[in-house]
Amino acid sequence: MRSYFEKMTTFGHALKKGRIKSTEANLAGIKKAEDEITEAVDRVKLAGFSEEKINARGQMTVWQRLEYLVDPGTWRPLHTLFNPMNNVEETTNVIDGIGKISGKWAVIIGFDNKVMAGAWLPGQSENILRVTDLAKRLNIPLVWLVNCSGAKLTEQEKFYANRRGAGTPFFRHAELEQMGIPVLAGIYGTNPAGGGYQSISPTILFAHKDCNMAVGGIGIVSGMAPKGAFDIEAAEEIIEKAKQFKAKPPGSVNVHYDETGFFRYVFEDETGVLDRIKEYMKDMPAYAPKFFRVADPKEPAFPVDDLYRLIPLNPKRVYDFEEVLARLVDAGEHMEFRPDYGPEVYAGLCKVDGFLMACVGNRQEYLGKNYPEYADYPGMGGKLYRQGLIKLNEFVTLCGRDRVPIIWFQDSSGLDVGDAAERAELLGLAQGLVYSIQQTDVPMMLLLLRKGTASAHYLMGGPTANRHNAFTIGTVASEIYVMHGETAAVATYSRRLVKEKEAGRPLEPIVEKMNQLAEEYHEKSRPLFCAKTGMIDEIVPMRDLRTYLVAFAGAAYQNPKSICPQHHLMLPRIIRG
Amino acid sequence: MTQTILAPLDGKVFQVMVKPGDTVEEDEEILVIEAMKMETPIFAPCDGAVKEIGVKEGDDVLENDILAVIDSKSNEV
Repeated sequence: MRSYFEKMTTFGHALKKGRIKSTEANLAGIKKAEDEITEAVDRVKLAGFSEEKINARGQMTVWQRLEYLVDPGTWRPLHTLFNPMNNVEETTNVIDGIGKISGKWAVIIGFDNKVMAGAWLPGQSENILRVTDLAKRLNIPLVWLVNCSGAKLTEQEKFYANRRGAGTPFFRHAELEQMGIPVLAGIYGTNPAGGGYQSISPTILFAHKDCNMAVGGIGIVSGMAPKGAFDIEAAEEIIEKAKQFKAKPPGSVNVHYDETGFFRYVFEDETGVLDRIKEYMKDMPAYAPKFFRVADPKEPAFPVDDLYRLIPLNPKRVYDFEEVLARLVDAGEHMEFRPDYGPEVYAGLCKVDGFLMACVGNRQEYLGKNYPEYADYPGMGGKLYRQGLIKLNEFVTLCGRDRVPIIWFQDSSGLDVGDAAERAELLGLAQGLVYSIQQTDVPMMLLLLRKGTASAHYLMGGPTANRHNAFTIGTVASEIYVMHGETAAVATYSRRLVKEKEAGRPLEPIVEKMNQLAEEYHEKSRPLFCAKTGMIDEIVPMRDLRTYLVAFAGAAYQNPKSICPQHHLMLPRIIRG
Repeated sequence: MTQTILAPLDGKVFQVMVKPGDTVEEDEEILVIEAMKMETPIFAPCDGAVKEIGVKEGDDVLENDILAVIDSKSNEV
């Protein structure tokens, strides 16, 4: 299949002086916004005790452990700003992402031992479930750095129980293991109760000599029999028992290495744990990249930094999607699917790090007076019309047949609306796309370039496709809402305005409410809000976007559950004709 | 040689960034048309000087209306 993939059609253009001159403000605006995100990320990294204090105790921080474990330059953090329950700690207290260990991609997660010794916090189980889902979708190992002191007891009602509560990850670990996906765990520190199950539920346990894991910890063992209420005598008893257990906490390596054998290995040094995980990762099931690559990896044809000039911060500003794509895929080459049909969406085959990837994105430009063909009004990019929906249904279905992972590039203001759109079957075609995605069992990722709006956010590879969307990244230009705030204000208050007008009452109070609503929409659609609530898994600087595509491609092709031989692929032949 | 810039779509002139006599470079944004809630930038087709601006901010324009005329630099040379 060399004739299809070694040299594909080139696209994109180098930036000219005039464009560079016109986009200085956009570049500065994006960099300023990225600096604000960096500050928020730094606050998470600095949460809790200082690195010096943890090191003085003879421990590494979770960040130091990650740096030691992960191959240099391959760490792609996810969920860094995820804090859906608004914890004062500004974190769910787990740090996760995708990275390579010993040359193989893994999903990696660790408790932040700087914050309450890695306690369970509100929102944490939801974070962990996203991570286990990711390992499941990509079919790659999950590596844990366990160091979990148990629940933050003063807030247990927010996370202990419930359908997606703190116990659910243990079942997810079992599910991964049943699917043949290994869960490796380095165990550090004190891991009682919930921490005990965090430690015992993985597949192979690599223990540090000072760690322990137990059904219950010091607090539970020593305070288990209050007399209905506490008094001084009870307090004295608790002190005595606590001293005893502190000296010898339950579930140390003496028990779980020497006696039960739950710990497969014990290491004197913290780095010894990580070294053995690295050694095990060498043996994890994985195809060599050459097995699936369709061509040698190449850098994009144009600098990725051009994205600072090509993607407008202003959500209303039109831009050229193909120019953006040409900065993200190998060599600025592609094979476009049905270029003469459904012009509002791009669909095509590209290469990322030499792997074949399907790319789908919203074009933004004016579509001409004769499109959509079913209406007497002109079409505008960013919206979805009949042809675009049909094209995407076809493309996604063929990607499933050819086992090609899909990268969605979303920037959509929604679907066309009105009776003409209804007659053109948009509602049925949209749900048809949901059906096509659901039956197309290949990994997908979403890069939300700017707007995720209305049902288009679901249809264009959004995370609502739970079984398929591996993860969603965004930029500082990303925003997500059911509709623009100004549109929502009109939808909410238009009839009220009519009533007030007819009654001869002043309109100013309603106008004020409309402005308030629009402002609230703005605040609750910003990138930081989206990351905090989990609508986006990570806000990524423009210059790093391609690195996530490379990670996704490598991980998706590392150990796929089904294969389409390259010489059986149909999409390239359909495109060539 | 001059190059005439035509409106690519119906809309309202939202912003005019240049005035007659200004030097422009190829692909530089010279004005913006607002239509269908989106802002479409109009770029200079070549290096040169702005000879004429046919519209002002707030004007309604139709597709193929003349927006501006650029004196191409290559011709001057």
